[in-house]
Amino acid sequence: MILALTIGFLVAGGTYLLLQRSLVRIAFGVGVLSHAVNLFLLTAGITAYRQEPLASRMDPAQAADPLPQAFVLTAIVITLAVTVFLLALAVIGRNDNTHRVPETGEEHDR
Amino acid sequence: MSAPYLGLFVALPILATGLTAVIPGRSFHRVIVLLVPFLSGLGGAWLLAQHLTGTPALVAQIGGFLPGIAIPFVSDTLSAVMLTVTGLTTVIVLWFAIRTKEDTLGFFTPLVLMLVAGVNGALLTGDVFNLFVFIEVMLLPSYALLAMTGTWRRLGVGRLFLVVNLVTSSVLLIGIALLYAATGAVNMASLTAVATESPVAALGVGTVLFALVVKAGAVPVHGWMPRAYPGTSAMVMALFAGLHSKVALYAIYRIYSMAFEGSSAWMPVLLAIVLASIMLGSWASFGGNTIRRVLAFQMVAGVGYILLGVALGTPASLAAGLFYMVHHILTVGALVLASGAVEKTYGTAHLVRLSNLLRREKALAWIFGLALISLVGFPPSSGFWGKIALVMAAADVTPLAAGVVITVIIVASVISLLALQHLWHEVFWGPKMELYRPADPLLHEGDPKRPVTLPAWVRIPIGDLLPAGAMLMLSLVLFILAGPAFEIAGDAVALLVDPAPYIEAVLP
Repeated sequence: MILALTIGFLVAGGTYLLLQRSLVRIAFGVGVLSHAVNLFLLTAGITAYRQEPLASRMDPAQAADPLPQAFVLTAIVITLAVTVFLLALAVIGRNDNTHRVPETGEEHDR
Repeated sequence: MSAPYLGLFVALPILATGLTAVIPGRSFHRVIVLLVPFLSGLGGAWLLAQHLTGTPALVAQIGGFLPGIAIPFVSDTLSAVMLTVTGLTTVIVLWFAIRTKEDTLGFFTPLVLMLVAGVNGALLTGDVFNLFVFIEVMLLPSYALLAMTGTWRRLGVGRLFLVVNLVTSSVLLIGIALLYAATGAVNMASLTAVATESPVAALGVGTVLFALVVKAGAVPVHGWMPRAYPGTSAMVMALFAGLHSKVALYAIYRIYSMAFEGSSAWMPVLLAIVLASIMLGSWASFGGNTIRRVLAFQMVAGVGYILLGVALGTPASLAAGLFYMVHHILTVGALVLASGAVEKTYGTAHLVRLSNLLRREKALAWIFGLALISLVGFPPSSGFWGKIALVMAAADVTPLAAGVVITVIIVASVISLLALQHLWHEVFWGPKMELYRPADPLLHEGDPKRPVTLPAWVRIPIGDLLPAGAMLMLSLVLFILAGPAFEIAGDAVALLVDPAPYIEAVLP
């Protein structure tokens, strides 16, 4: 139940931030939303406490499902790369959320 | 059959990416950026030849783990066709990139090679989570490509493209989580008919398909595509038009037919989406004010036609949809590249600023005219057989659905015809063109922001038109060789309709 509420809260917050005008807030929104998705992925396995999934040392019946954790790890890496790119984009068009035509030092005729 | 070399389709582009990031030299970059997609297309053709001679599916269990635990790469006729076509398209588009000198932009070569790796991986993978990873691998260089080419609008559209795709990827991931929770597996071969058995799995598959539909750009979630694509340069738009939405459409073909296995319970919903895409895309083409904006709306309509194959769900309709997909990649690619050639020479693609190009540009007029004919679906072009096959396939389903579908196809085609006639009228007819915006700043008299008088000698260099011409030639060849092409398409959808050989190959 706590997990479900947390996911719902994170999705709501992420959606709110995504709808903001500033790209930095959008970057935060993407981060929050991806946290929600990561928790959601974890719920696909068993959320109660289990042992480490090390095949040689552990009874498989006691071990946690490693696959959702691997999914989450992959998703975290992708989100990191995307967040860095979003922040870079926010720097390039630093005034493109206040100006219709941002100042990029280029010609604006087309 | 085991085929460990399938991993090369991803490994080779990634290796080349690393090489180009450390080894400078323009000629080396040019060679490798053309060679890698060419080899991948050639490899796709070789796989296709194998599949057509009796091997239904080739599997590489990556890492040598047990089948079912390993992440498999699976090649069947469908993915081999897509590999061949996307490889070929990429080569032609990069040829155009070399003409426009966009390949000299920083990190262009590594970005494109990474994109090729992502596309090949997404086409070959037999695992839904791995599909998500490869779609991300494909999208990350695309964000960068989008941000570095085109006009100042790229910042706005780059942001739009990025945010839409990020949110969609999150939705895709949620769908995969649901799927894993319900079935305990993300291997596509183990998804057979899951959606008809368990409601949670159906929800998961539905969420995955929704995300893929957003990425493909079908109505009512198409809004980002006609805004984002025309804001980039023509070269990038041609690349994205040939690769991005088509990878999503390929995944829809694969996952829908696997998970629902011929169940027609959702046919009304799918038909509504498809028919709305076809109608809205055609109708909205009237509203485009640049050549590529009109084409972007035509792409929305094209997504509708391609998905019609899935919505009807018969073998004939799936084959027709696949044929239409290949036709659409070639035709839209030719038109976008031709528009890029116009933009390079005349400095604009605004319909109101271009006029009377028919007198100046005979070769362009031929290419553009024939490609428009192909887009609408008249002979002698691949679009003719594509639409005929879709109509014939639609005629075989229930009378009510058949009537509605065929009516919509005919009405939308007439609307498209009128909209594209409007485009032709604005660009190729009309009063003599007086002003243009040359790319060379020396040709501007004083203020570079103002257009200058168009001298009589200005012509599009024929070399700029050759890539578009090459795409168009492929479309015309497809018209002549429609018989063998439909045989291949029928072979490709045979595994979608009856996936038993596919499953047997992946999970022996």
